Amino acid sequence: MNKSIPHDSAIKHVSGESVYIDDMQTDSRLLFGRAVYSSMAHAKILSIDIAKAKALPGVHAVLLAADIPGANQMGPVVHDEPCLAEKEVICVGQAIVLIAAETPEIAYEAEKLIKIEYEALDSILDIRTAIEKDSFLAPPRQMKRGDAETELKKAKHLLKGEVETGAQEHWYLETQSCLCIPGEENEITAYSSTQHPSETQAIIAEVLGLPKNEIVVEVRRMGGAFGGKETQANWIAAWTALLCQATKRPVKIRLFRDDDQIMTGKRHPYLIRFEAGFDEEGKISAVKFEQFADGGCVTDLSMAILERAMLHADSSYYIPHMLVIGRACKTNLPSNTAFRGFGGPQGMAGMETILDRIARFLKKDSAEVRRINFYGMGENNITHYGQEVELNRLPLMYEQIIQSSDYFKRRKQVDEFNSKNEFYKKGLALTPVKFGISFTTSFLNQAGALVNIYKDGSVLVNHGGTEMGQGLNTKILQIAAAELGVSTQFLKVNATNTSKVPNTSATAASAGTDLNGMAVKNAIDILKTRIAGVIAEEFSKKHPNDKSLANDIQFANDMITDTKHPDRNIAFAEAMPLVHLNQVSLSAAGFYRTPDIGWDKATGWGKPFNYFAFGMCVSEVLVDTLTGFHKNLRTDILHDVGDSINPGLDIGQVEGGYIQGVGWCTTEEVKWNDKGHLLNHSPDTYKIPSVQDIPADFRTALLQSAPNPNAIRKSKAVAEPPLMLAFATWLAIKDAVSAVGNHETEPEFRLPATNEVILTSIEHLRNEIR
Amino acid sequence: MHQILSFVLDGKIQNITFSEHFSPTTTVLNYLRSGNEHRGVKEGCAEGDCGACTVVIAELDVNNKLSYQAWDSCLVFLPMIHGKQLITIENLKQVKDGQSILHPVQETMVSCNGSQCGYCTPGIVMSLFSLYKSEDKPSTLRIEDVLTGNLCRCTGYKPILEAAAKACVHGGKDQFNNEEAEIISMLLEIRKNTESLSVENKTQKYHQPLSKAEALKLRKQKPGAVLISGATDIALRVTKKHEHLSDVIDLSHVQEFKKSGGDVNTIYLGAGLSLEAVKTLVKQTLPALYETLVVFGSKQIRSLATLGGNLGSASPIGDTLPTLMAYDASVILESEEGVREINMNRFVLGYRKTELRSDELITGVHIPKHEPDKIVKFYKVSKRKDLDISTVSACFSLKLQGSTVKEIRMAYGGMAAVTKRVETAENFLTGKTWSREMVEQAMDLIGKEFTPISDARSGAAFRSMAAKNLLLKFWSETK
Ligand SMILES: Cc1cc2nc3c(=O)[nH]c(=O)nc-3n(C[C@H](O)[C@H](O)[C@H](O)COP(=O)(O)OP(=O)(O)OC[C@H]3O[C@@H](n4cnc5c(N)ncnc54)[C@H](O)[C@@H]3O)c2cc1C
Ligand code: FES
Ligand code: FES
Repeated sequence: MNKSIPHDSAIKHVSGESVYIDDMQTDSRLLFGRAVYSSMAHAKILSIDIAKAKALPGVHAVLLAADIPGANQMGPVVHDEPCLAEKEVICVGQAIVLIAAETPEIAYEAEKLIKIEYEALDSILDIRTAIEKDSFLAPPRQMKRGDAETELKKAKHLLKGEVETGAQEHWYLETQSCLCIPGEENEITAYSSTQHPSETQAIIAEVLGLPKNEIVVEVRRMGGAFGGKETQANWIAAWTALLCQATKRPVKIRLFRDDDQIMTGKRHPYLIRFEAGFDEEGKISAVKFEQFADGGCVTDLSMAILERAMLHADSSYYIPHMLVIGRACKTNLPSNTAFRGFGGPQGMAGMETILDRIARFLKKDSAEVRRINFYGMGENNITHYGQEVELNRLPLMYEQIIQSSDYFKRRKQVDEFNSKNEFYKKGLALTPVKFGISFTTSFLNQAGALVNIYKDGSVLVNHGGTEMGQGLNTKILQIAAAELGVSTQFLKVNATNTSKVPNTSATAASAGTDLNGMAVKNAIDILKTRIAGVIAEEFSKKHPNDKSLANDIQFANDMITDTKHPDRNIAFAEAMPLVHLNQVSLSAAGFYRTPDIGWDKATGWGKPFNYFAFGMCVSEVLVDTLTGFHKNLRTDILHDVGDSINPGLDIGQVEGGYIQGVGWCTTEEVKWNDKGHLLNHSPDTYKIPSVQDIPADFRTALLQSAPNPNAIRKSKAVAEPPLMLAFATWLAIKDAVSAVGNHETEPEFRLPATNEVILTSIEHLRNEIR
Repeated sequence: MHQILSFVLDGKIQNITFSEHFSPTTTVLNYLRSGNEHRGVKEGCAEGDCGACTVVIAELDVNNKLSYQAWDSCLVFLPMIHGKQLITIENLKQVKDGQSILHPVQETMVSCNGSQCGYCTPGIVMSLFSLYKSEDKPSTLRIEDVLTGNLCRCTGYKPILEAAAKACVHGGKDQFNNEEAEIISMLLEIRKNTESLSVENKTQKYHQPLSKAEALKLRKQKPGAVLISGATDIALRVTKKHEHLSDVIDLSHVQEFKKSGGDVNTIYLGAGLSLEAVKTLVKQTLPALYETLVVFGSKQIRSLATLGGNLGSASPIGDTLPTLMAYDASVILESEEGVREINMNRFVLGYRKTELRSDELITGVHIPKHEPDKIVKFYKVSKRKDLDISTVSACFSLKLQGSTVKEIRMAYGGMAAVTKRVETAENFLTGKTWSREMVEQAMDLIGKEFTPISDARSGAAFRSMAAKNLLLKFWSETK
């Protein structure tokens, strides 16, 4: 079971045989779809002239909002999101017209022939303006424990400040794509690159004005998603389906890279204001946060993201008195959306900034200050929302990583280096991760599965989760094989399909394996009970006086065996025809809901999470203080995945997540101009980490002997938490910058720490010294 | 002149006549993906920045041996692969007696967990394959260089580095060795046709001269035609702006432009040399040009892009320009009328405007040999260190007499509409002591010289700061 088998598609990946939507074979009737979008951040639409585009040979449909047969609505939670803009546009990139044409080139030609007249309206393009103009998506949310306002006044030291975190583009390698194939009458099958097939199905049905049973959504795999295809893949699917229904021909939309970057939302930028009270040692008594998220033009998932940011405002620290106020700003930017971490990273950035500043202020080592504030074991272990931090791994992991990274020795070496060098400075930092696993909207914590065993003994596993590279299907394969006691070659995990497993939740919140693995186990348990009954009876036929009992039947090593009478056994594959002959079903649906969680959104109190995943990181960087360049010299990671189901895949998630976090913290800068146009709309100017940006010395370890009683096979979710390990690198850079001013002055800093941010901060420090 | 494009793919000579399906400006990526057989190659950006479209091109070198290079197929117009072998991801796995045999680079990518979502993987495997064929037991540095042009959003690259190191240990031996003789004979067969490729149809003209004389003649006849050498700039007009190029002269097959040489005093580099070739050529002789090319684009880009193209773009952020200025190079311009040489300082006239006349081509550069007592250094500031366009770049050359500045050149890119020397600061420093104090005064002059712009890459203030600091950096490394 718990071993590193390669990704179940690895051989297909390396041979170019894994099929993504754009690779699917289609017939010559295929049309190429295109969405024409707004060039204005906020404007009234005065007129749309599509006559010439319609007349262009090779164009088969040009659709406007008025042509939508169902509801002009794509909002996943709040219904505030039109499918196509009708009278008003609220961001650059908002879809207005849909085109289907015989080639992509003809679709471009047609687009050029469309004339849209606008009347500009005032637009809001950033958080500060939104605050000023009182532009919010919803009323504020609040979480509190104790009396932060009073305690802040009493504290020995008071720290006040703010920190900004930037947007982040998902930059999945496969841009948003969908292929719709028309069936009989109203039927449509949508092959969509979506993390949430059930919702994609729902939105297609809604815009087409059809019941959901007409629509099938299937997902084989995605070429990356990272949250970007949790809700916004629905758009592309809805547009494709509209064109498919209008033309009754297969239609495909694959967004061009720049269009994808311009149209779709990003990680929410944040402005976080904080006040923290602490004592001489650096122990924090009270914190007040005001978190402002840039939600963009519509709600999308902003309120859930806001909630998770608030729930992670504590990072890994026990704060006796805490007040968190969260607000989602409404601006004229594309709606920001889910991105690995889902607000958690932004929430933690606020607290990690506080810890970093306290240490500098007190002239103490920041790792030490972190340690004394960690959640305790048995005491000081209740979060600001009332959940106990059970099985707290922080103290143990701190001890281990301090040792393995040689932290204190290297701290000295860094200081020594800095005292000897003017133009190069080194920095070092340790940061923790504590990440809550579960959807905070409790009812979403459910999953379904359908396991079919065929008469030849081969098994087809269907579940509601989607494969986006994380290795979910591989883990499901391992789980199913272990539960059924057969080797993996008997098994195949099917493409996710809404007609096999309905009404599923998104593959998100890192909970894919936890939820779907349990549902698959449930289905297999049902099947095993049925099979055991039949087989026990079969065994008993030869031993009427000493019958086999169903309870004693064991599934292992491709065999079914009576454990009381081990000589009574049958090969798994041979047993299946017997079960069939006995008129017992070899197909079972499984279901799972996470038990014992409960969370009151109104009071901000309860147990939103099934458990926490932990991690810790020590990072050392070298900053060139004349150019702002930095080099990641060495990074040590210790991460907690419980009993790993597949260490190879888990380490891949940890390292990949960390590097994605490093991108967010360093080079991935998203800027809009004063008209709301995205400036970094292609990889030419939007810079995700390249192979040269990973640590020169990169050490990753999984925490050993730390089983998790609360999830499948004692494992832990892994997808999101490692992203936040990157704060160690972010703050190591800050530490190096701070060394320019001999750690006497708090440097200006923000996230991402681009070389522009770094150099500007250094310049200010230098001017201060002069 | 002939109209048929020929190259080797899947072990066969493919002949393509341009019709409604493919035009001469159809990219190799779109050509491959238009059928059902080669959809392993992916589009991630259509601008050379991600490497998902990487294919390997094998071509005959001067000794009629095959050399293997990774290219970004999204930037390559079909005629550019005329007479070459195109190798795609589908060609790597072998099937023998119903059994699949993975190529060593595929094998280790699987065993090291080198793929997650798999979308970048075909491109990465092809880059590793090009490395496998050209170098045994490569250093980490070399592996990183080869992979810089391949972005992966999932893995964090570490398993891919491991896979590369584990795979490239068989001296480049694989099934391709067995087929080489046959492939070479096919390529020689294509070469027998000594006429140049020339396509003229209702909407498009595309000429691929094979000699300098033919190229200069075409240039004279068609002063308005778009010139391409590596097409890494021009292809974006097609792939990103959806422009229709109605008349193209493709210089990529003029062998005379790919020569290098020189005499006792100067080094000659042909305009058609790929920047990767230049990089190898000048490693010892022109260290600052070498450094410029180390951080220029990616391996895939440098294998396509040419020196002539970088000069021809005359972009204020063209990286070889400040370096060639600091080296006091001159550009060779040729037409049917004759040859002239223009010093780099006078070559660029304005934003993307040069001395080049509409009947001339850039055929090469002359660079004075590196003087041992001169220090020349190139610096590039960009958001990401590798595969990024310069926010600010600078190249300095310095000759000291004792501690006195005898001669200094300071050429900047990214600070104005053109690459520019800072003569005020140069004059100020000449004759002064090469001291921090003097350098800091010169930095003020640099600040006064430029009023840079703010754009997607950075703000103006940052550009000014960095430009000044680069001189200090140069000083700190040469004092
Ligand atoms: C992903 C990517 C990364 C890049 N990174 C860098 C970088 O780091 N630094 C940098 O400087 N540039 C970079 N570039 C830009 C480009 O690659 C270079 O400018 C390159 O040198 C252009 O060469 P080419 O042969 O491909 O030019 P082409 O596209 O073929 O031509 C460019 C221009 O030069 C003209 N031209 C070409 N050959 C001649 C000739 N013989 N005589 C007269 N005119 C000619 C053409 O008409 C055209 O106007 C990058 C481009 C991409 C796509
Ligand atoms: S598609 Fe990205 S480099 Fe070609
Ligand atoms: S494996 Fe997903 S981008 Fe590389």
